Amino acid sequence: MNVTALLLAQTALTLDSPMTWGIGLGAAGLALRLAPQAAWQKLGIIAGLIGIALIGVALPPLGDVLPQVLFWLMATLAVFASGAAVTSRSAVYAAIWFAVSLLGVAGLFLLQGAQFLGVATVVVYAGAIVVTFLFVLMLAQPEGHSPYDRISWAGFAIPIATIGVALLIGTLVSSLPEFGSVGTPNEILHKTHVARLGGELYAKHLVSVEVVGTILLVALVGAIAIVIQGNPRRRTTSEEGASDR
Amino acid sequence: MIIETLIKIAIVIGGLMTAAAYFVLLERRMAAWVQDRVGPNRVGAPLSQLNKGWKDLRLFGLGQPAADGVKFILKEEYTPAHVDKRLFVLAPISILVAALATFAVIPFGSVLPAGLFWDEPIEMVVHPGAGVGMLVVFALSSIAVYGVILGGWASNNKYSFLGTLRSSAQLIAYELPLGLGILGVILATGSLDLNEIIAEQAKSGWWFAFTQPLGFFVFFVAAFAEAARLPFDLPECEQELIGGYHTEYSGIKLLLFLVAEFLHMIAASFLIVMLFFGGWHFWFITGHDSNPGWIQAILRVAVLMTKIFLVILFFMLVRWSWPRFRFDQLMALAWKVMLPLGLINFVAVAVIEQVKVAVIDPVKAISGSSPGMELICAIAAWVVCIVAWVVISIAGPLVADNRPRLDMDAFDVDPQLEEAR
Repeated sequence: MNVTALLLAQTALTLDSPMTWGIGLGAAGLALRLAPQAAWQKLGIIAGLIGIALIGVALPPLGDVLPQVLFWLMATLAVFASGAAVTSRSAVYAAIWFAVSLLGVAGLFLLQGAQFLGVATVVVYAGAIVVTFLFVLMLAQPEGHSPYDRISWAGFAIPIATIGVALLIGTLVSSLPEFGSVGTPNEILHKTHVARLGGELYAKHLVSVEVVGTILLVALVGAIAIVIQGNPRRRTTSEEGASDR
Repeated sequence: MIIETLIKIAIVIGGLMTAAAYFVLLERRMAAWVQDRVGPNRVGAPLSQLNKGWKDLRLFGLGQPAADGVKFILKEEYTPAHVDKRLFVLAPISILVAALATFAVIPFGSVLPAGLFWDEPIEMVVHPGAGVGMLVVFALSSIAVYGVILGGWASNNKYSFLGTLRSSAQLIAYELPLGLGILGVILATGSLDLNEIIAEQAKSGWWFAFTQPLGFFVFFVAAFAEAARLPFDLPECEQELIGGYHTEYSGIKLLLFLVAEFLHMIAASFLIVMLFFGGWHFWFITGHDSNPGWIQAILRVAVLMTKIFLVILFFMLVRWSWPRFRFDQLMALAWKVMLPLGLINFVAVAVIEQVKVAVIDPVKAISGSSPGMELICAIAAWVVCIVAWVVISIAGPLVADNRPRLDMDAFDVDPQLEEAR
């Protein structure tokens, strides 16, 4: 069975559905996880896991055992890793958890048969972007902000962010049925779907692709221009020479 | 179906681990041969341990890998106090998992005909029909970078971290020429599936090393760099960085790193053979029909393995033939030589393929173009290759040159001299 179709079948959030309680518990867990007290943090993890389990219960079963187990595994991995990425104190750990959650998402794509999307997620995000992040973070402050920096804003930012995320997820889930399904599975699961994707990109959206490519190139040239700024080594020689004279 | 896949996984992992162990022995014997030494030739079957009267068998040192493995496992596995323990453990595991998972989409033969215990022909690849095979290899090789980065960073050691910095810069830089080399092949075959890429070469009889020489050179050099083999082994150059990113590792964790490195080299050899040397195809020995008989199927595996073995021998020979690059030379080679060459190759292949389709009528082009046309295209590709090579070497002659630059002041080259002045 198609996972998306089952997700789409989920109707609006009501108070008696486990989905609502799951999302609420997850949000509360995230907020608790960010609290300064260690006991509250542990409570946050437990609440978050119960929330994930409740959402999992709310999703309709997939029929087959193997896809069901894989789906639960990948989905839990993705959600848990995202939560961990948001709440990690250490920036390096946050980046690694983000990469793990991307792997989970890629697994979900593969489960749906979207091979190219799944693999491209790993290549582009986990393989290139997060690696670059990690690279910079390791050279910067590995321990994150010092405690007084964290506390000064936490009282305001954490509840607002949590409420915002909960609202966003709630709206998304309750409005999901309106999206409907766009393409038929046959198109996506076709054997040469990579070639078809390329054809679509370079025929219908040629201008957008070219414009995006040009913008990226300009950004690259700009970055190099900022780094070079003339030839500093030669400049210092000439300056020193001038002062000598 | 599941049992079939499990058996394939067992064959692949067992074969790879054994191969990696014996390639270590081969590498040491090769090194000894190149350096005019004897090499490890003692460890064989220790029969005198069983019975005092029996003599030990030497067996040309074939017991060496087993002895090495046991030594690695039994040695003290020391975790220093100053490391980030979780990431320290995660790093070798992630790099080995990524290295092994790569082989899920790399075929180790052609097709086994129906018979014995199965009703349908069995494709000799763990995951047959992966439409994005090449991309999976790419994705997993980019995951392998994590092992190197995490290992070096978690070690909390400056030599490890220097190795990590070098390694990640090198791996990211050489992924581009690697991709450009592959792009030409994908353009010519129209598929990301390694099986189909091999089948295409078998059908025309023209290996891509002959029709896309520039792409082949670019890919070959980039594959050396991605496998971090000499002359690209800056991540762990012993003379400068002790052991590079795995300086702090010992025991079984170090073994995981070393095995993963060998697996990278083996994977690179598989890809070189399959993309550019026709995989299991050899003229007059293996045909191109998709349903071969038993003899054909076994011959194909033999041809494939022979080719891969030769490429690995070449890897090992190069190790003792070339000095290591300096880091700036490495980067200059990637960005100023390999990247432009790869782009030229990509454009040349695109033009040649389009000309092929345009000159021959479209119907014929699909069923296979004429031998004369193929020859002309190959010659054109070689001309492009030589011209591009000459132009690049004239444009950037200092890339691999260690001599002092005459056009620059010595103070320009080394700012420290200036401080002394």
